Amino acid sequence: MPELPKKKVGLIACSGEEIPEGTITRLAVRQVLESLRPEQTVTICLPLFLAGGEGDRAFARFHPTITVDGCAKRCAARGTEMYSGKPAVSIVVSNSAHPNSAALGSARRLSGAGMQAVRDVADQIAGHVDNLLGLKWDRRSGRPIHGSPPEEESKPRQAACSCGSGIPCQALCVAGREVTLIALPLIFSQFREAGKLPSDSTKTELMQAVKIYNPVPSEEEAAYAQAVMQEYAAFCRGSN
Amino acid sequence: MKEKILIVPCSGIGKSLGSVAREGAYVVTEELCPGRTQLMPLALLVLGDKETQIELSSAGAIAIDGCVRACAAKVVEGAGGTVAHGLQVLDVCRRHPDLKPSGISELDESGHQLARALAEEVKELVDNMTGEVTHA
Repeated sequence: MPELPKKKVGLIACSGEEIPEGTITRLAVRQVLESLRPEQTVTICLPLFLAGGEGDRAFARFHPTITVDGCAKRCAARGTEMYSGKPAVSIVVSNSAHPNSAALGSARRLSGAGMQAVRDVADQIAGHVDNLLGLKWDRRSGRPIHGSPPEEESKPRQAACSCGSGIPCQALCVAGREVTLIALPLIFSQFREAGKLPSDSTKTELMQAVKIYNPVPSEEEAAYAQAVMQEYAAFCRGSN
Repeated sequence: MKEKILIVPCSGIGKSLGSVAREGAYVVTEELCPGRTQLMPLALLVLGDKETQIELSSAGAIAIDGCVRACAAKVVEGAGGTVAHGLQVLDVCRRHPDLKPSGISELDESGHQLARALAEEVKELVDNMTGEVTHA
């Protein structure tokens, strides 16, 4: 049965190639993705918000997002908010405890102080990830403490990296206008494979699943439900 | 004074080829053509930074992409720039089948060799754009 992508924290680095702080954002994010919180985090390249499709732009609406910027221009934070969704947390490396940019090395080769800054920023990101997911971390075992929300098993990631395919989306007509719903194709597949045929009870369940990933205005819920059910009925006919 | 040619690498953070694109851009701008080229961070273009857009509109750009989604080339064009040349690291890989890069945060030796091969190709393009002769 297909799995819906799990809620993870999205990390977006500015990756600014011109300054050492930009390199620090990229390396710190990689450290969190690879070592500190590999099961809890995903990433996407900032430029994909412009160059990619609707699924890429859905990234920050789907994942609570931490942006990591090298300088006060805050390209990652502002770009993410402009094209995808407001970040939950915004970190700026140049604001942190590393005021002496020259000591960090060059953008191409960080110094020892620069690499220490990478570790510090990575720790800061990991702390925010835990806060956003409500995790308490056992520093000895390197695993979440029992009693915290369960750690998700590692699954193939829909939006794991810059070249990921993004979150599947589907456009449908709600009360005469086009609306794009995140994760709808996966929700339909999951319901169909569970043998849930179009019915009133399925409609209620479908809308519950849709609302996990999409804002549905309460005054338009009936129109959304009708449109979703029409699409689901068509989906079921097509998959017979 | 002639405008410098802008070298715009992808900001790839998920694959080795993105790191090769970035390292290749550094080799061009810092070692092979330091006086004639300038690195342009993609993030500034995503944001629509006015100063950067003006800079872009007055100079030719070479976009270096790490994957087929071609963010660098698309974003340069979207920001009103002209992509004089768009390179895909994957194409350079095909011309150097012996090099199999790995590593993202830190490229391996093969990745560095591929970045240098990429940079040499970019240098030829820069030479042609600036009218410099590279071959006798």
